[in-house]
Amino acid sequence: MSRKLSVILLAMLALVGAMSLKTVAVAHGDGSVIMANGGAPVPPVPWK
Amino acid sequence: MPGSFDYGVWIVCTLLEACVVVSALRSNSLSRYFFLNIYMGLSFLASVGRYLVISRSGVSSMEYAYFYFYSDALLTIGLYFALLNLYSLVFDEMKVGRYLKIGAVVLLGGTAWFSYAVINQSSHRILSHFAFELSQNLYFVGLILTYVLWGAILKLRETRARLIQLVLSLGVYFSAFAADYALRNLYPNLQGAFHYVTPMLGCILPAAWTFSFFWVNEEARLAPSRLATVSR
Repeated sequence: MSRKLSVILLAMLALVGAMSLKTVAVAHGDGSVIMANGGAPVPPVPWK
Repeated sequence: MPGSFDYGVWIVCTLLEACVVVSALRSNSLSRYFFLNIYMGLSFLASVGRYLVISRSGVSSMEYAYFYFYSDALLTIGLYFALLNLYSLVFDEMKVGRYLKIGAVVLLGGTAWFSYAVINQSSHRILSHFAFELSQNLYFVGLILTYVLWGAILKLRETRARLIQLVLSLGVYFSAFAADYALRNLYPNLQGAFHYVTPMLGCILPAAWTFSFFWVNEEARLAPSRLATVSR
């Protein structure tokens, strides 16, 4: 049981770290998007 | 409209994605690296689909924007599973597959919940905005998980050359896009240069994975750089 809880804790820590990193990146960015899938041209975001 | 350079890089990138799957098939590694190849196959299909949409509706059309962001969300989920595939290979001798699955589900569910919580406050186009937000958030999760996996590889003194190369190239890929994003924001007057650099970054991962599957044998091992010394 404690191993399962440890895994959940580690997953939540990774999530918090990733979301904090994203918040910092977006807060200091110009609003452009980070797309890391292939070489296709990135279109303008339609809902901004 | 994209120029000939953009189309050239895009074609090279798409061909490299197909080469990854072909190289894995050739080296009988398809089942061992199943999700990596699923991701590359999906990337290839997404590139073909995006080209068809662009040629029919144009790059600035709403059709292309929606197709791009929905396919990007699908690809990022595919990349997440590819990363989990690498995790399961690194930790296969420790028999922790069950715990990896729990962690993966919690992390993916948590990211989806966070994405929904963000867009629920700010948008009326929930589904499309959700796909976009999920894709962006999973990118950062993938970035963190790749560095954690690299730390585990160093700690476990992993010697499988192909596995190390696959993980390292994923780390370089994520880091290159993060660096590109940071530099674009630091030097907005150099947008002309980044117009050429950013699409080329998309070729890093398929090129490195093609190299790994084509030229690096599954049985190849890296020699330890130094021997551990024990004081007497």
